[in-house]
Amino acid sequence: MPCLVRADGHHGVMIQVVLIGVAVWGMTAGVALAHAAEQGFVLLLPTDVYIVSGVAAVALTVLVLALVPDRLAHRVFYPLGLWRAGRIPLAHVTSCLSALILVGLVLSGIYGSRDPLINPLPLAVWTVWWVGMVTVQGLIWDHWRWTNPWTGPAALMAVLTGGRAPLRYRVALGHAPGIVGFLAFCGFLLADPAPSDPARLARIVGGYWLVMLGGLVLFGPRWLLRAEAVTMLMRLYGRMAMLGRYRGRLALGLPGWQIARGPRLSRGLGLFALLLLGGGSFDGLNETFWWLARLGVNPLEFPGRSAVITPTLAGLLAANAALLAVFALCTWGGVRIAGGGAPLNTALRAFAPAILPIALGYHIAHYLVSFLVDGQYVLALLSDPLGRGWDILGLGAHSVSTGFLNTAAMVKVIWLTQAGAVVIGHVIAILLAHVLALRLYGHSRRAVLSQLPLAAFMVAYTCFGLWLLASPRGI
Amino acid sequence: MTSKPKSKQSLTRRGALKTLAVGAGAASLPLWARYTHAQTAEPIRIGFQIHRTGIGAAYGRWYGRTTDAAVKLINDGGGINGRPIEIIAEDDGTDPKRGAEVVEKFANQHKCDIAYGTLFSHVVIGSAPRAGELKLPYFVASEGHHVASGMLNRYTLQPGITDVKSQVQAMAPYITNTLGKKVTMIYPDYGFGYDHRDNLPAAIAAQGGEVIAQIAIPPTETSFTKYFPKIPRETEVLYHVMVGPAVLTFVKELGEFFGPSAPPLFGFIDSLEAVDIASPGLEFLEGTFFWEGMPRYAQEDQTEYDKLYREAVGVDANGASVSDASDISTYAHMFGCWETLHVIKAGMEAAGYSGPADRAALIEAVEAMTDMPEGRAHPQGAKLFNGKTHQVFGHQYISKVEDGKLRRVHTTSIEDTLYPDEVDYTTQSF
Repeated sequence: MPCLVRADGHHGVMIQVVLIGVAVWGMTAGVALAHAAEQGFVLLLPTDVYIVSGVAAVALTVLVLALVPDRLAHRVFYPLGLWRAGRIPLAHVTSCLSALILVGLVLSGIYGSRDPLINPLPLAVWTVWWVGMVTVQGLIWDHWRWTNPWTGPAALMAVLTGGRAPLRYRVALGHAPGIVGFLAFCGFLLADPAPSDPARLARIVGGYWLVMLGGLVLFGPRWLLRAEAVTMLMRLYGRMAMLGRYRGRLALGLPGWQIARGPRLSRGLGLFALLLLGGGSFDGLNETFWWLARLGVNPLEFPGRSAVITPTLAGLLAANAALLAVFALCTWGGVRIAGGGAPLNTALRAFAPAILPIALGYHIAHYLVSFLVDGQYVLALLSDPLGRGWDILGLGAHSVSTGFLNTAAMVKVIWLTQAGAVVIGHVIAILLAHVLALRLYGHSRRAVLSQLPLAAFMVAYTCFGLWLLASPRGI
Repeated sequence: MTSKPKSKQSLTRRGALKTLAVGAGAASLPLWARYTHAQTAEPIRIGFQIHRTGIGAAYGRWYGRTTDAAVKLINDGGGINGRPIEIIAEDDGTDPKRGAEVVEKFANQHKCDIAYGTLFSHVVIGSAPRAGELKLPYFVASEGHHVASGMLNRYTLQPGITDVKSQVQAMAPYITNTLGKKVTMIYPDYGFGYDHRDNLPAAIAAQGGEVIAQIAIPPTETSFTKYFPKIPRETEVLYHVMVGPAVLTFVKELGEFFGPSAPPLFGFIDSLEAVDIASPGLEFLEGTFFWEGMPRYAQEDQTEYDKLYREAVGVDANGASVSDASDISTYAHMFGCWETLHVIKAGMEAAGYSGPADRAALIEAVEAMTDMPEGRAHPQGAKLFNGKTHQVFGHQYISKVEDGKLRRVHTTSIEDTLYPDEVDYTTQSF
């Protein structure tokens, strides 16, 4: 058994100071399970030591980057070309299959079991897609090209009708519909009293799919790229993936290499990237004793999500607004310190994607535990999809278990994995921001100077993220 | 345990999906032969309010397993009045408002005969008024005193698990006669702690003892060292009921504070329900005492009923899942689901229940119940039901931690748990 060092819940003056600055604007609420034993073991871990170590690792990255030659920094994001890969023209076919599966899931949400851990729809949406597929998209490869449920059916309809999109998407709208859609999604995820209710989810998922399909047919592909939040989210995270295409080859690189070498984001997508982090970090803060104390809620007697809908929505919006403000301030400060060379608007668009690794790290860390638990229900479903007592996957006599959260050693491994995701996310973000600054300024000294405020922000955010993981939660 | 572990499907997905299959007539055929004598083989639909998400999820998982097992046993034995039970499980999110919505869905959408659930008191308190308005019998297994206190209504009954008030007062004789007469209490500073704060002192005084100090700890506290100096030196027993994620820290710091010279410790297993007593950091609990609703570890004199119940639910002799020894069950509480379902069966059979028109008759039949002997339907022990207060009373268990396991050292009488009636629901009209 590991040596357990006492943690008193206060992580030192330095951390407190940073938190006062950071915690004010970080925040979220998920569909997480309460595991008192797991949290109990986390409180016994020397998390203050881990937090300091994690923050130090990120800070050290900043220092090292200031010293290494530009070429070396660029080289970090060179992809390794694998083999020539032609595009396989099956995306529309798989997309149609995906749509069929989605329709099946929606029907099962309406007609299947009322239990959200038995019904395939909530498991597919919240465990398979939101946790699993989003993580694979951000970490490994852009599967959304094949798995999105819209492009295939839309292409099929275009073939059948022989017509082009009859309406033009108004350019003035920019990415606003998608951004609003994503905020609504966050609001549903965090504030709705029953986001896992199969019938409720079926109405929302089915309705959203139909409306977006209608938009795509009426307005053409631009609709999907600017008004459909899920595709926008997936395409953004797809740029983080380790596998991608480079000079006609399949290529493998450090997460973020496609961003480092790819085109600059538009203003709307840059904003979307920031909201990914804003929503993701509030989806954690809103579960902490700290946040519940702000609401005057007893965390041991949480009154239920329906009692905190308004404060959760307000917190979500405030967290996003605060994150945007701090990011803009840091970028503005960087531009000033660098002594010009790039307008603020360009700098904002240049650096916004550097936030993506942090958001992905948070996503992985926050959902790891619920994925390990609910993933077992998904396996049970796959092994016996019709509830006939089959055992297709050969799982044998095994019940869904949270026993692994009941042992100190496993809880430590899980916590350090979560912390690792947060720290690695920040380290990559700092590397990426540095390379993006080099691209923007083309000048090492200016690039380093321009990064100072943003780097300080990322170091502080590491501290915030690790504090979130170490904090007792009441939801 | 020699029983064959239940398959994953049977415990989780299959168990719940079977309810659909039952309705569709797709369940295993030999079973159906047993239902043929009934006037109708239409299942009896029981709406199961379950904590699938929210702070009660850990309990909900085990309440679900226990419910599946009890329903299987009842259905294998011919169901209720020859009709199988169909469970319609809805997640209440451990949320009172949602709980009320779920009760409404049971009545109006799923056409359930009755509603049944759930653990967390605030969900029961939030749901019961709606059940009363809808005239839907609502059988709860929440352990709260809210049923017997008279704050709910005639449609809400708690026949499968005793309430906290009776549990607390029943501890007093053992504490004062065996452990010590001067008691200091440490409890969380909110409702759950107040149940203990308000009910223990009089019971201790009645036994010739005295509660000499009551130390309330804020619910958000994560370090407790500063509270321990408030424990009076003359304390002979320390009574603790801390809950939440900081419990392990509490025990560990308590051990560091007292070292080997601690007074006897008495706690409620609620603090460590679903937590392995042999966890690192909990060594200090060795030799201390706990209330248990039902002994987590199979005792030397284990009854055949406890054995059957464990095997049916899939729990081993240590109170853990048979498929994962580290997956500790909520053993002290979850029998409430099993016993409640058996009371529902007995009540429906006594009332000749045939459909929603017989709901009032069902409630009257349960109100007429008194003695419930220990048996397959009541593996936790014999019970005494009070039809006026809609609350059941039963034996309580006190266990001592020995070698990292809980060994039962005392069983209270049912009389120890009784208190004067605070309500007579039978005077309320339907």
